[in-house]
Amino acid sequence: MATVEERVKRVTAQVLNVDPAEVQPEHHFAVDLGAESVQSIELAAMFEEEFGIDMEEEAALSVETVGGAVDFITRCCKEQGVEVEE
Amino acid sequence: MPEARKPHPLQDTTEPNLVQDTYPYALPPLIHFEGPVTEVIDGEPVTFDFRSVADRDIAITDTTFRDGQQARPPYTIEQMVRIYDLLGRIAGPGGVIRQSEFFLYTKNDREALDKCRELGHPWPECTGWIRAEKGDFRLVREAGLAETGMLTSSSDYHIFHKLGFKSRRECMDHYCEVVDAALEAGVRPRCHLEDVTRADVDGFVLPFVDRLMEMSAQAPEEKSVKIRLCDTMGFGLSFPGARLPRSIPKLIYKLNRECGVPSDRLEWHGHNDFHKVHANAATAWLYGCDFVNTTIFGFGERTGNPPLEGSVIEYIALKHDLSGIDTLAITELADYMRSIGFPIPDNYPLVGKNFNTTRAGIHAGGLRRNEQIYNIFDTAALLGRPPHVAITDKSGADGVAHWVNEFFGLKGEERISKIKCAKLARWVLDRYEKEGRLTAISDREMEAKTRQLMPDFWTRYKGDEA
Repeated sequence: MATVEERVKRVTAQVLNVDPAEVQPEHHFAVDLGAESVQSIELAAMFEEEFGIDMEEEAALSVETVGGAVDFITRCCKEQGVEVEE
Repeated sequence: MPEARKPHPLQDTTEPNLVQDTYPYALPPLIHFEGPVTEVIDGEPVTFDFRSVADRDIAITDTTFRDGQQARPPYTIEQMVRIYDLLGRIAGPGGVIRQSEFFLYTKNDREALDKCRELGHPWPECTGWIRAEKGDFRLVREAGLAETGMLTSSSDYHIFHKLGFKSRRECMDHYCEVVDAALEAGVRPRCHLEDVTRADVDGFVLPFVDRLMEMSAQAPEEKSVKIRLCDTMGFGLSFPGARLPRSIPKLIYKLNRECGVPSDRLEWHGHNDFHKVHANAATAWLYGCDFVNTTIFGFGERTGNPPLEGSVIEYIALKHDLSGIDTLAITELADYMRSIGFPIPDNYPLVGKNFNTTRAGIHAGGLRRNEQIYNIFDTAALLGRPPHVAITDKSGADGVAHWVNEFFGLKGEERISKIKCAKLARWVLDRYEKEGRLTAISDREMEAKTRQLMPDFWTRYKGDEA
């Protein structure tokens, strides 16, 4: 199974139309990867679909970096009983 | 202007002050007065205490079927009965809408009046409207009305140029003959001082009103003459310090305190030629007219009259109480009027299709967090009109999410997050960015796309398969 980080990078690249190899944990979705307002929402929606979880809106949308998303999603998966490869 | 500087230290807090003693949300914003105000009239300071309005029996009168009808094709009798019925609901048991005036000249006029009275509503009381002609007065007698308005135009424009009198004396004597006839027949006359904001107040208006007061002294109190101050051309000013004849405070002061006309016999009637009509009417209430004369949705001669629904909201704000008013009937009346082709602009306050619609995504975001941020009061409870979001390229995901939740009727914890609305938000944005759309997305389009892109929610909340 791919790790959470690999899956987050893949979804990010797909939604933001960037090369997955260029997505790094320290990258800021908006500043570094060019995510616009609706794209941020789409990212969150795709993460929910990819991992089979529900994310609290305000908490999810306050995550700013790829690494932050990895940590947040890992936590959500644990809380919701979804098995993931860290 | 002298300096009045003083320091204003920050009052820090971690709890928000939502100013709820003024903005309770369950009612329209309340009006509080802090103390008396002083006007200088004829060189002397005169005090007015607006706090008295809380205890005064102020009320609204209606001229939808008279002034309102002068600006449009005639209503049918059925339409008048329906409108009158809804006015009765808005009026409530206390008669906040106290009277409604009717033409008396044609067979249809009489039939409409009779059918309205057959409804048996205690309020609004039906009154008549006639020219100051003895011949017209018989119409009042025949209709069996207890009170009639009569045109007693007060400016020299009218006295000399319109009515052709040779002198003010001749004019006054003529008016008083008709008033006499009314008093003798036991009908209460209501003298409409047309064009009073352009009149020679000291030269004609006050002497005429003095004479009316002398005549009234011979009549029972309930039949004594009422006075309607008619700002026929919308010239009236609420501004402190303004001069007569435009000053509404000074006009009312002169009639109320110098001529001794009690407040419950004073009524204000205005027009909107200078955008002041509603504020002027409220000013009249404050300075001593117990009645403001209005039309539904302000529709009347030329630029219209004080809007009845605006005065209703102002009444609640001044009284700090709903007072039995059925505010939902305001929306019902607007819907009915639209159904019969009456034009209400989309952005018209309180009843326009978009009066509480936001298009800006940032405002929609605020609405989603707390409806009170961008809604004037609880319009859902008071008017049956929850705040609405119109979907455009500016709506963003916040706007789309607000629309979806409003559509499904979801509140509180059950509301759908904007994350779940991502596909719909993308669809909206693509209409503008990829297809170059320039118009708003209609509710019908949004419904169809919600059904397609959010099928699970559709099935859950609409009860049928997407």
